[in-house]
Amino acid sequence: MAGSAAEVEKYASWNGGMSPLRASYGKLFMWFFLVSDALTFSGFLCAYGFFRHNFAGEWPDPQAVFHHFPFLHGVHLPLMYVGLMTFILIMSSVTMVLAVEAGHRNYRKGVLIWMFATIIGGLMFVGSQAWEWTNFIKGSEHGAVLYNHNMYLYKVDHATHEPILDILTFHNKELSAAESKEILAKGEPFHGANLQYNEYGQPAFADFFFFITGFHGFHVFSGVVINICIFIMALNGYMKRVGHYEMVEKVGLYWHFVDLVWVFVFTFFYLL
Amino acid sequence: MSEFHDVYPDYEGMAQHDEAAGKKIRKKLWMVFWLLLVVTIFEVIVGFFAAKWGVSKTVLKFLFIGLTLVKAGYIVMVFMHLGHESKWTKYMILVPYAFFIIYLFLMMTMGEGNYVNEHRHTGHPSNGQVDMQTPAAAPADAEHH
Repeated sequence: MAGSAAEVEKYASWNGGMSPLRASYGKLFMWFFLVSDALTFSGFLCAYGFFRHNFAGEWPDPQAVFHHFPFLHGVHLPLMYVGLMTFILIMSSVTMVLAVEAGHRNYRKGVLIWMFATIIGGLMFVGSQAWEWTNFIKGSEHGAVLYNHNMYLYKVDHATHEPILDILTFHNKELSAAESKEILAKGEPFHGANLQYNEYGQPAFADFFFFITGFHGFHVFSGVVINICIFIMALNGYMKRVGHYEMVEKVGLYWHFVDLVWVFVFTFFYLL
Repeated sequence: MSEFHDVYPDYEGMAQHDEAAGKKIRKKLWMVFWLLLVVTIFEVIVGFFAAKWGVSKTVLKFLFIGLTLVKAGYIVMVFMHLGHESKWTKYMILVPYAFFIIYLFLMMTMGEGNYVNEHRHTGHPSNGQVDMQTPAAAPADAEHH
């Protein structure tokens, strides 16, 4: 049947011999997996947003909670260490994409160097996250007061960020001096945050912190493990044998996804 | 692996480029890195000084979310090379996700979260008023039967 050039081309492309969307199936399926994982993390973050709006008055201020820096004890540096962690992860993302680019030029030495840098960056990030968890669980020096399964927080002077040690607050409502004295006498000091009690404020904050950063940290850790596998494969010359470095690109997609999730977690948890 | 490819074009091989093109690509990658770094530093600084400069919380929210979307866009389009894929690949990945996230965020987080926050002290039994030691501040809402 006679037809125009476009119709003939359409007939040919429907006739097979061409991958849909003109990409290899391995890459497409990695994208499918990343979309599903992105929806998972979006569900977590939206649940976090729901709880945050629910308890809007008594949600801890991240700048008051995350103000420590390694080797600088007692110095108040809000969100500096988290900013450093973000920088490390973005840097590892850049080294990853440089490894992918070296793979596109079939340049094995470049792939090995940049993959190694990515692995180091990933390990630094996981280590930093572990340090953050330790500090979060250990808590601040002044802590809070636990009495009758209820958490009473010290009122914080907003100018100096120091706690006023004779006035307590309960669910963001200040107690009178007499009530505070009574509870300070009967209650016991409590430091840090765990899945039951949170000295910084609403317990849901601690629950979400552990859950979301734990999930993300697990993704980073598994990404590091996979990167090490791909590094060893490149070292042994597997990619040189098959003639292309697409494995590096697929693993690169996963690593960039991990960085992408961190960008959103950083914004919603620490900034907003 | 060849049994899966049959007579398909060599997509893995087609992605390759030479050293000269590689230099230009690497330059673009480093530019995106500096952009991400500068935006992140800007966000941290604004977050730190927001109270002192009197920036309203709404402006802050939209600024942070907007900048995060910009960062995400550059990571997805440049680092993950989605910008180099065919048009329908891009749509296939971004459009369903966009539908879900817009619904989830507006309906669940904003809608439900604000509703529950607003109606917490209305004295309706489902609010668990007995567990909280603060008394109900407002009389029962007329909408609750």
